Amino acid sequence: MIMQLIAAMAGTLAFSILFSVPKKYYLICGLIGAMGWGTYLVCGRHLGEATSILAAALVVAFLSRLVSEAVMCPSPLFLIPGLFPLIPGAGIYWMTYYIVTDETGLAMDSGYHALKQAVAIVLAIVLIFELPKKCFTVMGRTLYRKEIK
Amino acid sequence: MDSKDEGAVVELAMLAGHILLDNGAEIFRVEEVIQRICDHYQVTSVNEFVLSNGIFITVGSSVEPAFARVEHIPVSGTHLDKVAAIDRLADEIDMGLYTVEEATAKAEEIRRRPEVSRMLRCLASGLGSAAFCCLFGGDLADSACAFGAGFILYLFMLYVSGPHLSKIVGNLIGSLLVTLICAFFYLFVPGRHMNFMIIGSIMPLVPGVAFVNAIRDIADGDYISGAVRMLDAMLIFVCIAIGVGFGIDIISRLSGGALL
Repeated sequence: MIMQLIAAMAGTLAFSILFSVPKKYYLICGLIGAMGWGTYLVCGRHLGEATSILAAALVVAFLSRLVSEAVMCPSPLFLIPGLFPLIPGAGIYWMTYYIVTDETGLAMDSGYHALKQAVAIVLAIVLIFELPKKCFTVMGRTLYRKEIK
Repeated sequence: MDSKDEGAVVELAMLAGHILLDNGAEIFRVEEVIQRICDHYQVTSVNEFVLSNGIFITVGSSVEPAFARVEHIPVSGTHLDKVAAIDRLADEIDMGLYTVEEATAKAEEIRRRPEVSRMLRCLASGLGSAAFCCLFGGDLADSACAFGAGFILYLFMLYVSGPHLSKIVGNLIGSLLVTLICAFFYLFVPGRHMNFMIIGSIMPLVPGVAFVNAIRDIADGDYISGAVRMLDAMLIFVCIAIGVGFGIDIISRLSGGALL
């Protein structure tokens, strides 16, 4: 579990470098990614695959908006790297793998799962960005002042 | 305000919009920044229309002379720091810190800002590959192999596919290359799970920016741009899948089924 979180953090951090997020936000990006993956792992014990991804993406999107208001930076800076661990890259791979090995049933299955995960991410982003900007501004500002003190 | 000034304001707004769109901002952010810049410099009759690869701005009313500007913006790399910088610049313009000339100079400077060094990006790509390999179930040896594959993949993207190949062919060959490298590691070096190595190493190719921005655009009601970006993302996903599929197929045939 700890290992997984560190890996999620390192991966998110690496992608924030690739998308040239400003240096001072590398660590925040990493933390958001790790929290998202942590949510996914915890929810995964009780809920289904897609629901867990939905919960994790909700956390990532929420934190991204919060941090973006706190440090007055556009939200994609945190949202794009943070969502990377949740994007169904593995699902696409397994689908291909099963297509090549002629296991059509399994291929359909993993493709379908990948699609479900993608839809869960879509839903999470749409829901979180539907919330009014104001509540994030208020929460973000309070949070940031606390951090300074 | 004479007409020359309005021209300069629209040029500034266009430049800011161009940098934003170029570097992975959402459509509504581009529109908002253009609108804010024009509002601040009292160009009231501005109308802007932003697509995923073009910006159209017109000015003109009974009191302001007509002026129009159209710019085509091909999709290129993602530099979120530039998006943040332009966003900040728009805030500062709102506060009245700059004249049009100063703001234009500032935007030009942001546009020319140097990228992260190539070496660092290659290392980051390797690190990302290794981390995702571990995340999806690989062990440390697999991650080390994924690091190598991710590193080489990014070198390929920087020096071959970026400048010389189209997106489709570039991603196809990129994922094929990754598969071949991972299969090589699997066969000759003690990496034990080829699947996890490949999953980790294709992550730098995965179109995360296009995918997330597509969702944001569609959520904001910019259906055309959202659909174009989603198509872009899906196309890349399919290319990756085809490249990996080819790779696995070739290797397993050459090695007499040792892989599968």
